[in-house]
Formats: sequence, structure tokens, C-alpha cells
Amino acid sequence: MSKPPPPPILPPPRLPVAVLRLLLPRAERDEVMADVLEEFGTRSREDGSAEARRWLWKQSMGSAPSLFRWTSWRGLTGFEPHANEFRPGGPMLKHLMADLRFASRRLRARPSYSVLAILTLALGIGGTAAVFGVARPLVLDPLPYGNEKSVVTFWFGGSWTEQEFVYLRGKFPGFKSVAAYRQGDMTLRDGDSPARLLPGITASAELFDVLGAPPMMGRTFQLGDDVQGAEPIVLLSYGVWQELGANPSIVGSRVTLDGTPRTVVGVMPRGFWFPDPSVRIWTPRPLNPEGQNGSYNFVGQVAPGQDPNNMAGPISALVKIIDERFDYSAEWDKTKGAEVFPIRESLLGKMQPAILATFAAMGLILLIACTNVAALMLGQVEGRAPELAVRAALGANRRRLTQPLVVEALVIGVVAGLLGAGLAAVGFGTLAHALPLGAWSESAQFDWTMFASAMVFAIIAVLLVVLIPSTSLFRHEDDLHGTLSRSRTGGIQGGGARVERGLVVAEVALAMLIASGAGLLVRSVTKLYAIDPGFTPSGVAVIDIVAGAGMTPPQRLAAMDELVNSVGALPGVTSSAMAMKLPLRGNGNNFGITVEGQPDREESSTFFRVASQDYFKTMGIAVTRGRTFDNTDQPDSTQLSVVINETLAKMYFPGVDPIGRRVGGGFGVPQRIVGVVADVAEGALLDPPKPTRYYLARQVWFGNNTSLVVKTSRPGDAEALLDMARTTVNRVAPNFAVQGTSTMNRVFDNAVGPARQIMTLLTLLSALALLLGAVGIYGVISHFVARRKRDWAIRVALGLPGRRVVTKILGQGATLVVAGIVIGAFASVAMSKLLASFLFGVTGIDPLAFAGASAVVLITGLIAAFVPARRAGSVDPALVLREQ
Amino acid sequence: MSGDSDWAPLGVFEEQTLVAVLRTRDEAYGMHVRREIERVTGRELAIGAVYATLDRLEAKGLLQSRRVASGGPSRRLFQLTASGAGALHETRAMRERLWQGVDLARLLTMARG
Repeated sequence: MSKPPPPPILPPPRLPVAVLRLLLPRAERDEVMADVLEEFGTRSREDGSAEARRWLWKQSMGSAPSLFRWTSWRGLTGFEPHANEFRPGGPMLKHLMADLRFASRRLRARPSYSVLAILTLALGIGGTAAVFGVARPLVLDPLPYGNEKSVVTFWFGGSWTEQEFVYLRGKFPGFKSVAAYRQGDMTLRDGDSPARLLPGITASAELFDVLGAPPMMGRTFQLGDDVQGAEPIVLLSYGVWQELGANPSIVGSRVTLDGTPRTVVGVMPRGFWFPDPSVRIWTPRPLNPEGQNGSYNFVGQVAPGQDPNNMAGPISALVKIIDERFDYSAEWDKTKGAEVFPIRESLLGKMQPAILATFAAMGLILLIACTNVAALMLGQVEGRAPELAVRAALGANRRRLTQPLVVEALVIGVVAGLLGAGLAAVGFGTLAHALPLGAWSESAQFDWTMFASAMVFAIIAVLLVVLIPSTSLFRHEDDLHGTLSRSRTGGIQGGGARVERGLVVAEVALAMLIASGAGLLVRSVTKLYAIDPGFTPSGVAVIDIVAGAGMTPPQRLAAMDELVNSVGALPGVTSSAMAMKLPLRGNGNNFGITVEGQPDREESSTFFRVASQDYFKTMGIAVTRGRTFDNTDQPDSTQLSVVINETLAKMYFPGVDPIGRRVGGGFGVPQRIVGVVADVAEGALLDPPKPTRYYLARQVWFGNNTSLVVKTSRPGDAEALLDMARTTVNRVAPNFAVQGTSTMNRVFDNAVGPARQIMTLLTLLSALALLLGAVGIYGVISHFVARRKRDWAIRVALGLPGRRVVTKILGQGATLVVAGIVIGAFASVAMSKLLASFLFGVTGIDPLAFAGASAVVLITGLIAAFVPARRAGSVDPALVLREQ
Repeated sequence: MSGDSDWAPLGVFEEQTLVAVLRTRDEAYGMHVRREIERVTGRELAIGAVYATLDRLEAKGLLQSRRVASGGPSRRLFQLTASGAGALHETRAMRERLWQGVDLARLLTMARG
């Protein structure tokens, strides 16, 4: 009989070995593991593999607790025990653990203090992180153009013509290449769904080479794409490609834009935008060497060796070329003011002040929060002075004394950082929309960097917070004897509170800084809203429409008419109209005017508007003379009816009745003035009134873009009407794309501009700052009162009325607040430069804004001080004195 | 402080470990100490507990160790210090004082039930 072969010896299972290795201090790891594996081998041979494996599992599990204790005691480095005192990881870790436990116990034992400190910091951290997250892509990240550093935009942006570009092409001195582009929105019809508008850019073939932007797939524009008769092509954004089904073989297929099939040649990568993130398609433009459409921008890449920041030489050479070929009227003289701008500045520059102002305000809030927590901690440290003095006397060194403080602040900081990151994530979207970022508000994304930045801000905050109480600690350490003797008598003097008071003053100053900024903006925005735009914005809904392609002008007009009537029949609507361009939305079209009987008048231009019959009634524009359009004005009339504004009447018909006079320009047909209306802020809110002519839509040619305006009987109904109106458009005119919906109130808000949004933000932030400041004042005064309770009690016992105690303490608080206000007011004069670009009708030193801010800060401060003061005034001296 | 209370009383496992170090003499590596205890007590030990205890005893100054290079990884060879010897002696003395006067025969009868 042969012996059965011994069972094979299996290798030890990996997981328990890994667990053991992980738990062992490094210095001992090899020795212990050698022991374990040798034992495993022995057991495998003697008891069999299964038994040995069971043993190993049991070892790794059973050893875990003792190993864990061992490692945490020895430190992860596992140096020799006698060396522990001098190495990181040993007793230091032990102390750290002890401090952590101590800190969390202290924080749990004082919930109001901890919650206050954590919430305060979290607000500051979250806000700062959110603003940072919004600002980072706009301020710090590179633009999505490879040639960012060498790309510049040209002066007279939006006013260059095709003719100029075709002539100058290849002649730009000092430039490698220059591209021309202008807005080129197109409607997309996808199957039977209603047409929709794709914001786009139409450009010359050089555009993407100038920018240095390669496509994600396919190609960008190439030479020959922009000549007359070239195949119509389109370049899609990543977003549009996704919406069209993310077909990986989309290149080469066709999409129908504005009724014309275009070949998709490429898709741009995700994150690419030009000139702003709302633009979704790019099409090359067949350039007409005689084209007079003056709405192009030039963007160029400077030639190698040229400094994009110093292009004065090449630009003056370019001006010479332009001057030789073109003649300009004084208003449009492109040889004047010639300058190029770095692309970042020209695309994002406008948003910079808003972001900086918000970031500064958020930073101040964080600073206030830090000050607040520092003051709170200082109060705690002062309260523990005797204990700390005893510890110092027993031999605790500085590190042992400060470490608990640092650990406590760290615990607060980490919790606040986590909470702040959460706040940032929640408030981020709101903030992005509250800031005047335009299309960029959509592109801002919450990501891990914001979380990381929240943590970084938390660490910075903690360091700031710890600085002050630990300094005060050292002061105590130097004065052990004094502290100990004072603590015996219970009579700590007010002198120790100097730092604390300084902190409150700083806090109030910071709050004052934000509040006065908000005050300045409130004043300017109020002034902006007080401007009469010449129309009544409330209760007017706006639907912006793009007419689909493939309709003749009469068909389009008929459809428009039907639309106006259908929308006008909706419940709650008092009148409806359409207009080619609404007030407060930029200058729009200009046309030269001639006046019958004034042949010598130098040719000048007026705004040119086209609207339907009820436009003036719907917009609430006052008629000052004559009539507006009515049913007698028909398309087949022999002459066009014109309504002019007051400014035109004054300019061209001074002292004469303009009604019935004839003008020319823009159309070959005779035009007769039928009425005069009030001046309306046509272009921008602050522009001086410009001469304007209004024509009736059904009498003149009508463009593709139009806005439907609908007046509701109640002002609040305008918003509610928008959805219904949109549905009506889709039902009545499926060929039309709704570009957007709005209300005239919102149009007005936009015209008021970023100042309004910054004002709202700053007002909210200053409320927050005041709240934090009030908390700080409350905390410090309470502490002050508590510390001198005995003094107050003695005085009350000696006959001082409680009322006087209250006024005395209130006086203390008021002194601090006033000092803060004065410092803050001075600082805000210096800081008001940051807001300069938003100010209207006020200077950086506006007494009313400062007075308002001071009053608010002072009242808040006094209320905060009053609460603890009253408490001190109503103490029973007998009780207090018996306490000690 | 008086000599008697110089050492905190040893725990049972600490005592066993110290005795095992004594018993293994020149071979008092962690592995041998563990095997010695396991052999004498007949219990299976958690390896981690043994090493951690050796370490702790060294930190208390009852043991001292030096690293010895052998074939594989360097190992620590333990040796009782004077304090260790004192603590062990004290523990043993204390135990004997504790047992003095206890009727062992009666204990045995009780244990048998």
C-alpha cells in the first residue's frame, strides 16, 4: 500500500496578509510577517491548508484591534519606542488624538458657540467658493483658443463691411491672418417639430485658423468656403451635435437651416465657444466684394515676432491703407480711434468688474466670519485663562497649549468647509444667474475644484482664526503669576479685552465697507429706474420671433397679422402688436432722411422702426400730435404714413407743424408724416434721444426678426401670458421659431444693466455682513458683561440704577460700532473705484449712501449690544456676589 | 516614591510575556516568545497582541531590545531590564502574599464540585 501524496501546500490567502501588513507599524512589518508566514507554512504542513488558512484569517481579524492600538500609539512610521518623543507620529499623534477628542467634546458641550462658529465660517467659505467657481473659468482659465495670446480684435467692432474686409484681406500689416465675423442666427427645422432658432456666427474662412481652434471631428472652415457659389456648409457645436442625436458619422450629412440644406463639415469640441457660449453654429459667409452690410467684427492673429500688446505701428500702416481707399462721414470715420484689443479683454473684459466686486465682497464676508470666530474663540480662551495658566505652570510648552486651539479651529474649519462646499454647490447656480454674466452663466459648472477651493478657503480661514487667540495665549504665558492671582480673586480686568474689541471694530468696518458699496449701488440703480423710457413697461409681454424661410414677404406679413390677432384674442389681453425692434435693445437700423422743401440740409440719419398698427397703444407711447397708424393706412396707399418722435420734429421742423409734411430716404415711395409721439429710449437707457421714424409694417418691407408685444390688463399677468403666447405661435405659425420670451419690465432691467444685479447681490451680502457683525458685537459685549459681572453687581449694590448700567454698556458697544463705521467709511472711499463702472449719477463719495449705510450699521450694532446690556442691567447683585 | 510602588502591577498577559522572554533566553525573538507562551499555556495567540505587548513592555522600560541581523528581515532580540526583573519579582511576590493562607485542598474539592 502506497502512502497517499501529501496535500499540496497552497499560498497564503492574500486579503488577510494585506490586512496584517497594513496594520503593522512599518518598522516591525517584515519581522512580524516573516513570523506569520513561517507559522502558516508550519500549520499547512501539519494541519493541512484549509486549517492553516482558517488560522491566518483568525489571526488577521483577531490581531486587528491590538495592532490598531499599537500603530496609533507607535505612529505609522513605527520608530523605536525610545525615539518616540522626538519623532512625528508617536506621542505627537497621541496628543493630537487627545486634542481632537477634547476639541469635539468642548464643541459638543457648547453647542451655541460651535453652531455659530461653524455656520458663520460656512457662509463665508461657501460664498467665496461659489464666487470663485463662477469666476475661475472667466478669469483664470485659458480661453478655448490655441492662439489666445496672439489674437486681437479690432476697433469699430460690429461696424465693418464685407467690402472693406474683401479689400483689406491679405493686406493687414503685421498680422498673420484676419477673419471677419458677424451674428448669423439660423432657424433649424427638424422633422415636424416647430422651427427653432440656433444662435450662430457667420464668418470668413480664416476664423478658426486665427483662433487656433481644431474641431472635435471633421474639419473647420477652409479656403474657398466663403466665396460666392461655394457649397453651403455648417460647423456644429458639441451641444447641437448632441441634440441631433450625437451621430458619430454626422460629418458629411445635411441639416436644413433657414430652409437651405447645409453640409455638416465638422463638430467643435465640448467647451469650445466663440464669441460667447450661446453661439451654437458657425457658417462661412459668401463674401460680396461690394457688400455694404456694416455689422462685421474683425479678429486677427498677429504675425510671429509682433507684440499683440504693442501694435501701434502696424495699425497706423493699416489706417493709411484704409484712408487711401475709403471715405467716411465724420460719425463713422474708421481712421479714428484705431486700436486692437487682446481677445480676452474684448470678450470677457466687461464682466471683470462685476466678478471682482462680488469676489471682493465675498472675501470680506469670509474675513468678517473669521474675525467673528476669532473673537468667539478669544472669549473662550480668556475664560480659560486660569486653567491654561495652571497647565503652563505645570510645564506645558507653547505647542501643547496652542495645539488644542489649532485642533479646535481645525475641527470647526473642516466641518464648515464641508458645509460651505455644500452651500457653494447649492448657491452656485443662483449666483451664476445673479451675476451679469450673460451667456456665460449657463456655461459655469460646479465641479470638484470648487469643493477643493472651499477646503482651501477653510484652511486659510482656520489659520486666520487661530492667529489671534494663540497670540493672546502667549501673552498669558508670559504673565503666569498675574493670571493665577487674578483668577483667584475672580477680578480679571477689562484690559484683556482690547484685542476682542479691536476685532469687533474690524468687523464693523468690514460690514460698513460692504454696506456702503451696496448703498452706492442702490442709489445709482434707483436713479436709473427713475429715468422715463418714454413707454410703459409694466404688463407688456414680449415674444421674439424669427420668421421661417421659404415665405414671400406678403405671406410672412399675412402670417404675422394672423399671429397678432390670435394673441390679441387671448384672455386678459388688451392690445397686441409687433415691431421689428423694441426699445432699449440697441440702436438697430439707421436710414438717411431727406425733408421736402429743405434741400440744403446736410444728409443725416435717423433711427428707422417698423411696427404694426397698435404698437404705440400696446407700448404706452404717448401721442403728442396728429395720429398714429390706423385702418386708412393700407399697403396699396400711394404714399407711406410716417410717425416721428419729438426729437425729429424739433430737429427738422423747428417751430413748424410737421403733420402732413413729406420726407424721403429709405424707400422710393413718398412718405407723409401723420403724427408725432414722445421720445422713447430706443437704443440704450442713457443715450440722448435720437430722431426716429416709425413705419407701418403692412406698408413696408419686413425683416425676418420681429417681436410680438402683448399688453395685459393687469401688470402681473404678462409673465403668465408668455407660455400661452408661445403655444399660440407654434399653433398659428409653425414656420416661425420663438427665439425667446420676455417682458418689457425685464427688457428694462437688462437695460439698467449689471448695476442692478450687482446691487441685489451686494445688498444681500451686506445683510449677511451685518448679521455676522451683529453676532460678533453681541458675542463680545456678552462676554464683556459676563466677565465684569462682579463689578456691575458691586456698583448696583452701591446704588447705581440698572438703567445706568444698560446705558454704560450700550455706550461701550456704540463706541466700538462708531469706530468701525468711521474706519469702514474711509476704506470704502478707497474701494469705491471697484464699483466705478456701475455707478450712475453718484460719485464714489456719496453722502447719502454713506449716511444710509452708517445708520443701518449703527442701528444693527446697537440692537446687538442692547441685548446683553439689558441682561447686565437686570442682574440681582445679591446673587452675583454670593456666587464667588 | 517608595520602592514598593515603583512598578505598576503587571497584567496577566504582560507577566506571561516577560516570563516567556526569560524562558527563551538568547532566543527571545517575537516569534519564539509567542511560541513559548502558546506551548506552555496551550492557547492560540493573536500574533499582533504579542508584538504589541513586547513593544509596550519595552516602552515601559521592563524590556530592552536590539536589532539582530539574521538570514531574513532583521529581528528584535528582547532582554529583561532591571526594572523588568523587579516588576516580575514584585508581581510574583504579590501573588504569593495573596495566596498565603488559602486552603488549597479545600479549593481543589470545591473545583471538583
